[in-house]
Amino acid sequence: MLIDLNHIFKIYQAGHVEVPALINITLQINKGEFVAIIGQSGSGKTTLLDIIGCLSRPTNGEYWLDGDLVNTLPDSRLTGIRNKKIGFIFQTFHLLPRKTALENVQLPLMYAGASRTVQHDIAQTLLTKVGLQDRLRHYSNQLSGGQQQRVAIARALANSPALLLADEPTGNLDSQSGKDILALFEQLHRHGQTIVMITHDPLIAQQAERRVTLADGRVVADEYMHQSLPVPG
Amino acid sequence: MLRSIFLDALKNLSGNALRSGLTMLGVIIGVAAVITMIAIVEGGQVWLVNSLERMGTNLLFVWKKRLTVEERQLFAGRNTELRYDDALAIQTRFPDLVVAPILELDGQLKAGDRDYSGRITGTSPEYSQIRNFRPESGQFVSSIDIKEWNRSVVLGHTIAEVLFGSQSAIGEGVKIGDQRFTVKGIMEPKGEIYGHDYDEMVIIPISTGLRFFQGSDKIRSMIIHVPDRQRMDEISQALHQFLVQRHEGVDDIHIRNQGEFLSAVDQTLLTFRLVLGGIAVIALLVGGIGIMNIMLVTVTERTREIGLRKAIGARRQDILLQFLIESTTISVIGGAIGIFVGILAAYGIGDIVARAMPGGGDWGAVVQPTAIAIAFAFAVVVGVGFGLFPAMKASKLEPAEALRYQ
Ligand SMILES: Nc1ncnc2c1ncn2[C@@H]1O[C@H](COP(=O)(O)OP(=O)(O)OP(=O)(O)O)[C@@H](O)[C@H]1O
Ligand SMILES: [Mg+2]
Repeated sequence: MLIDLNHIFKIYQAGHVEVPALINITLQINKGEFVAIIGQSGSGKTTLLDIIGCLSRPTNGEYWLDGDLVNTLPDSRLTGIRNKKIGFIFQTFHLLPRKTALENVQLPLMYAGASRTVQHDIAQTLLTKVGLQDRLRHYSNQLSGGQQQRVAIARALANSPALLLADEPTGNLDSQSGKDILALFEQLHRHGQTIVMITHDPLIAQQAERRVTLADGRVVADEYMHQSLPVPG
Repeated sequence: MLRSIFLDALKNLSGNALRSGLTMLGVIIGVAAVITMIAIVEGGQVWLVNSLERMGTNLLFVWKKRLTVEERQLFAGRNTELRYDDALAIQTRFPDLVVAPILELDGQLKAGDRDYSGRITGTSPEYSQIRNFRPESGQFVSSIDIKEWNRSVVLGHTIAEVLFGSQSAIGEGVKIGDQRFTVKGIMEPKGEIYGHDYDEMVIIPISTGLRFFQGSDKIRSMIIHVPDRQRMDEISQALHQFLVQRHEGVDDIHIRNQGEFLSAVDQTLLTFRLVLGGIAVIALLVGGIGIMNIMLVTVTERTREIGLRKAIGARRQDILLQFLIESTTISVIGGAIGIFVGILAAYGIGDIVARAMPGGGDWGAVVQPTAIAIAFAFAVVVGVGFGLFPAMKASKLEPAEALRYQ
């Protein structure tokens, strides 16, 4: 089992008001699964994915990731986990401005301590894999949204993470770019990549292998679908 | 990895040229302003002290006090003038003092077809010594000149030029009033000090002046050199007493101590330094605020950057190292440019002042290594401090929070 969430709570403090964003979430995800998380806006999807990705800590509960009880680990260990085990893809890409595609993809490798030649080679391979072999030295602002998201995917894959997390990766893209990104995910999944993806698009969710529905901070449905995403073509 | 972080930080700086430039500008302004200010104040101080030294040191000035009408009536018949005798008596009574009596006359000088009207000073050889003012060629008035009422004249540098042009004037004849004088010496150029132009002096033996022009032994003043600076006040009092006694109890003289004047100058300098020191501190603060503003303006972008870097595996120390490298580079480069600009500005302003100020010919900025060190150190501390502070705060946030920062 890759992810094991037990009675997870997340309560935000907005001034004097406590906002419970996640209430008693218990959820297991195995290696190799492709899980879609759906739910209304404000239902806690991003909050949940942040916790899974070690970008924030639960207020309460136990989170086991690949055998580690991560909610008790010190920041320094969490950093290593984020670097090596998790690849995160954001709705707004979060590429560093004024850096080239290559430089953006190299960053996780740099923090992993790879040599500069290794950084360069891996980044180039990954960018080729996402179809950007002729955009290596383009700056973030010289790329289309779809291309930026592909750079972000290459960056997420840089250290071959066990877990790929995506928070509405197609939310800011036109439908064709969205489809291309999804095809990329499907391809990764077929090669055994574990993926957890938040989506608003019911069609995409329909086609997922497993669908977890949140409402008001709780899991209200956890369904295994019969077929995986069709290969687009 | 250190190398990678280092290169990454430098790329960050060059990639954000505007941000880096503006931050650097803050450092440059701060450093340059401080160096310039201090150099100018130092220059002023050196100039002032120099001109005081050129004027001679440890001097007492003796004048006759102006008496009121009542006093004059009251003291009628008593010996109330400052006289040549007084100077001689002082010299006899206080042998270790150097006394120069001074007589001032208005007169006209004629040499060939050129003439000059102005002040003529009668004095003794001691004047040259205690005013630290020496002939460039020929000789100053001597004690033999005094004894024999010689009609010798020593000309200031400008006067010699006015009367004789570039020709040597030594041994030439000059008419003062209706008396024939011989030029004995030409004084070195000394310039103007406190409104007195030494180069326009015409100096004759005081005895000659008294005998041929004045017709009495009244003198205008005396300058007295006291070898021991510690004893100036004491001697000033003793002289006062001595002269009052000689003037049959009439207190009609006035003795001014150059030391009092010097301490007034010191006071002025101190005030000057405090004011400019304050300006320098303000300049550094303005520079610092400039740096801080840029940091605050970019804090949103930078906080997101920090969140992203942490999300993909940067440790807190990696972030801090990056920001340390960035802000140190900016501060050091900015500081170095600031030193350069500051020194240029100091000498530039020094030059302008020297040209604009009467008698300021040898005025110049004095760039102090300590000033450079202080300005540079302060700028680097401020630059690195303001550069690191937002990073320290942002790197404490959870990545999720930093990424959503606005
Ligand atoms: N930093 C925060 N401080 C306080 N409340 C927060 C904070 N972040 C999120 N929340 C609240 O927590 C709840 C869940 O937010 P979350 O972003 O997880 O929703 P979401 O399902 O991702 O929504 P969306 O589909 O719109 O992205 C919301 O009610 C939100 O207002
Ligand atoms: Mg969300």
